[in-house]
This record gives sequence, structure tokens and C-alpha cells, in this order.
Amino acid sequence: MPPLLEAVDLFKRYGTTVALESVTFEVHEGVTGLLGPNGAGKSTAIKLFLGLIRPTSGTVRVLGNEPYKSVEGRARLGYMPEYEALPSNITASEFLMHMAQVSGLPPSHARTRAADILRHVGLDEERYRPIGEYSTGMKQRVKLAQALVHDPILVLLDEPTAGLDPGGREEMLELIRRTGLVFGISMMLSTHLMGDIERIANRVIVLEDGRVAQEGTVEQFTQETEDLHIEVDDRRDEVIAALAARGIEVKENGVLLVVEGANDAKYDAIRDVVADTGARLRRLAPHRHTLTEIFQE
Amino acid sequence: MSTERQGEVYDLGYQRYDGPREGRRRAQRAIFENGVRTVLGLGRGPKAKILPILLLVGAMLPAFIFIIILSLTGDGGADFIPGHGDYYQVIATILLIFSAIMAPELLVSDRRDNIIHLYLVRPLTATDYVLGRFLAFFVIVLALAYSGQILLLGGLLLTSSDPWQYLQDNWADIPRFLAAGVLVALFITIIPMAVASFINRRAYAAVVVIGLFFISSGVANGLTSHSETCHEITDQNGRGVSFECTQADEPVAGDAAKWFALISVGDVPTRINNMIFDREAGSPAEAAAAELHDSIPIGVYALFTVLPGFLMWWRYQRIRV
Repeated sequence: MPPLLEAVDLFKRYGTTVALESVTFEVHEGVTGLLGPNGAGKSTAIKLFLGLIRPTSGTVRVLGNEPYKSVEGRARLGYMPEYEALPSNITASEFLMHMAQVSGLPPSHARTRAADILRHVGLDEERYRPIGEYSTGMKQRVKLAQALVHDPILVLLDEPTAGLDPGGREEMLELIRRTGLVFGISMMLSTHLMGDIERIANRVIVLEDGRVAQEGTVEQFTQETEDLHIEVDDRRDEVIAALAARGIEVKENGVLLVVEGANDAKYDAIRDVVADTGARLRRLAPHRHTLTEIFQE
Repeated sequence: MSTERQGEVYDLGYQRYDGPREGRRRAQRAIFENGVRTVLGLGRGPKAKILPILLLVGAMLPAFIFIIILSLTGDGGADFIPGHGDYYQVIATILLIFSAIMAPELLVSDRRDNIIHLYLVRPLTATDYVLGRFLAFFVIVLALAYSGQILLLGGLLLTSSDPWQYLQDNWADIPRFLAAGVLVALFITIIPMAVASFINRRAYAAVVVIGLFFISSGVANGLTSHSETCHEITDQNGRGVSFECTQADEPVAGDAAKWFALISVGDVPTRINNMIFDREAGSPAEAAAAELHDSIPIGVYALFTVLPGFLMWWRYQRIRV
């Protein structure tokens, strides 16, 4: 399968400021997270993928087209901006119907599609209310709905949980997860919140100072740093000493003893040490690092 | 015997779309149609419909009044009421106020609410957007302009003692008002839209447009008018009984008056209308400009339509998402 999105040796400069430098990556089907702090180049990358700006050099292809050259190619692309981009005086139904037509759908199909998508994002009963009367969470759903109304192949989401309270954030993440992973719409999610990516993405691309710092599956990142957490009620020092004698380094983290890089041999060694020392084992469990822990280190 | 009805509720979830996709042409049409709906207040609350209705009534009301006068006075009345050549001047202020208020409604909201960003990431260019919005507005202003003229034509025909003879004598008015309508509507549409492209507050944009038309017209008429000198006439007891005024031979601005006349933005379409109908000038500014060769008012008209059109297009090429 050809990639949905492809950046090859991409450079983007604004005057003397370098926004992206030699960026190369591919995005395939599924949900991909574009992670990075503010100023890392995420917004510039999104604008390049949408065809709103041209690269200084290098190539960008979205759904097989160079987006700034092919206006028609945008017909199968969806975009949900970070900031508010909704009219206040018309209903969600009217707005979505219009946006579906601007994406190329005939009016009769646009009407059906608007109704389907508003039901999908949970705004079925509110669809005839002016958008200006909606809560922040409901507006965020309308923004997602307008990005999906024309059934795109790939949707670019820019900070989709920005400004939401914890409950609203959970609901939005669940909605994106269902749309992306259950219903098969490929998505690229730009965010600085690692928790969001961990919840819904299966791949992650980390941008730092305009360059790709890391890239891989979310599972790959978390698996490589798997630790074992041990908690004993007594004979703690003896356990540490016995493990050290077997060449296993133990870190203390509060009540926990942490052994990095779990594998079968370490499991066996811990079992034997606990049996030999007679320590009362309360907990022995693998701990998978969160992306937050990995990238903050 | 009763039968038990059974049913299940399914979560249909996300539905894929495999219907037709009409691409950029559908997008262009959608921008145009949405522009028409926005101007007419369709799909919006009742308040959004008040202004378009009032303006439609305002554009047609003079024609109604003229028809009533004609029906009361018969054929002779046609010589005294304004005809097709005067009608655009009669409704120009109404059309202008409508344009000044509705052009920002069409353009400013899309920019201020960032809807323009959602358009530009779809199969639509900034040029498509500007053209679609402009055409939507132009068509409505043109329809408003024509509505009164058509009503007036109907009234003149129906109140004439010999409608067929009337039509034979006056048929040339029809292509004239159709052509003048296009030029007047183009002018009255494009300047407010250009102003609304640069100002992000609807009220300010409307004030700038109205100010531009009325202030420039006031200044031009002031500079092209003829000053009057009055002195008091007294009776034999020295008490003032009346005033005697004499008008200066030269306009206030002297020989340059005909050039100052050109700064009146509001008079630009009127001059073109007068040329089409071969009609005499009305205001001092129009009279002063009538001294110029025809090519100059035509050139000014072209400048006042092409330049705002270009500025509007240029502004939207620089919209950044």
C-alpha cells in the first residue's frame, strides 16, 4: 500500500527562521500522532500537508498528490483546526450540509451525510440549534464532524482536545479512537499532549526543533522500556542485596523496587530471591512506561 | 390471538460514503448558493430576514408609487414621474445602504469566525471563494435593481391607453435599463465588498462604505456648486423685507470643478446611467463632469470597479491559515 502521506527531505524556512529541516517520514493507514512541543514545527507540517504553504525544498505528497498543486486532491482530506472555526448563527445541520457541498458532495447526499455524521458525533438531537448556543465540547464535536462529513481518506487533527475539561477530553478521545481505529478512517493527530497520542494512536512521529527526533509504533516505544515493579512487606534490603549478587540492578522508588528491562531470566531470578530470602511478596508486575515518562526523560 | 413484535436497535456507527463527488465545481457552486442564502437570511433566524425584505420593498416602492400616480393621472402623468432613466438614481441610496450592510455580512463573518480556513483546505481556491461570494451578492443587487424597473415597465404599459404603441415608442428603454442595471449593480457591489475584505468589523465596514459614498459626494457637490451672494432688501423705513440672491457664474472650484466632480464616488454609476439613457445631469457634480469627454467618466468607472476588484482578490490571496 502506498503511503497516505509522505514527506521527503522537507525544508521550510520563513525568512531566516527554519521551521522544518530535512524532515522525512511516511504516514500509513491507522492513527498517527505528530508529537512535539510548541515551536517544533507541527503546525508548519500540517499546513504543508494541507497545501496551504509550499515547501522551501523537498517533496510532500498527500494521497498521491502534491497538495499545493492539486486543489482537487483535497476532496478526500479532512482537517480539524485547533482554534474555533464555526459560525454562530446557523444550525449544525445547515453548516455541515454546506461544508459537505464545499467538499464536492451533491446537495441531496450532503443532507443525508450531515445527519449521519451529527449522529456519529452525538449531536443528533441538537442539530437544529444554532452553533452559538453550543458548549465548548459540542463545538469541538461539530469541528470534528465537518472534518468527517465528506468521508475523507485521511483526517488531520490539530490539538483536538485543546480547551476541553477532563470529561470532555475523554469523550473526544473516545470519539476519535472509535472513528480512527474502529471505523477505519486514517488520522494524523498533532498534539503536545502525549497522553492523547498514547490513548488513540498506533504510530508516533516526534518533532523537535523542526526535525524528526523519533518515529515508531506507540507499542514499540513503551515495550522497549518495560520495567518490573516489586513490592515486598519485609526483608527489603536482603532482596536488594540478593538481586545485586545475581547481577540485577535494583532502583528504589518509594515502596517499590524497580528492575529495568524485564525478561524471563529476571523474572526467574526475582522468584528465586523471594523464595530464598523468605520475603513476603505483595506485588510483582510489569510496568510499561507512558510516552510522557519516555519523552520527559 | 396476538403476535409479539420484536425488534433490535443497531448502532450504525460511522457510515462510509460511496456516492458521487463533484469536486471543485460543486464547491464553487456551494459558495455561491450559500452567499445568496446568507444575504437573504435563509436558514437563519427571523431577524436576518428583516433587512432583505425591507430593502426589496424599498427598491420596489417607488415604482408602486409611480404606478399609482399614473393610474390616477392617465397618459399625461408619464411626463411628470421619473422614468426608467431616473429610476436607478431614485433607488441608488437604498441599494447602497443594502450593499454597505450586507457585503460585510458575507465576507467579514467568514474571516472573523475562521470559516475561510475550512474552505481553503477543501477543493476550493481563494479566487473561487471571492468570485462565488461576489457573484452571489451581485446577482441579488441586480435583481433588486431590476425588480423596480420591471414593475415600472409593467405599470407604464398597463396604464397606457395603447400599450403596444407605448412599447413601440419606448422599446429602447428596456435594453438601456438592463445594461445600466448591470453597471450600477457591479459598481454598488464591488466597492463595499472590497472594503469588507480589509475591515474585520461589520459595523465599521458599513460606516466606511456609506461615508465614502456620501462624504465624497458632498465634497464634490460643494466644490462644483455655484456660490450665491445675497443681500437684504429694505423698505423705505430701513426694515428688511426680503433677500435678493445672485448666483456666481463660476463654480466654487473654478475651472477645476469638472475634475473635482470625479471624486464623487456615488455619482460614478449615475454618470454612466445618464450616458446610456442620454439623460441630462442632475447634481452640480454631475453637471460639472458632463463637461468632460465621455471617455473620462467611463475610465473613472472602470478604475472604480477594476481596482476594488483587484484589491479584494489580492487580499484573499494573502489569507493565512
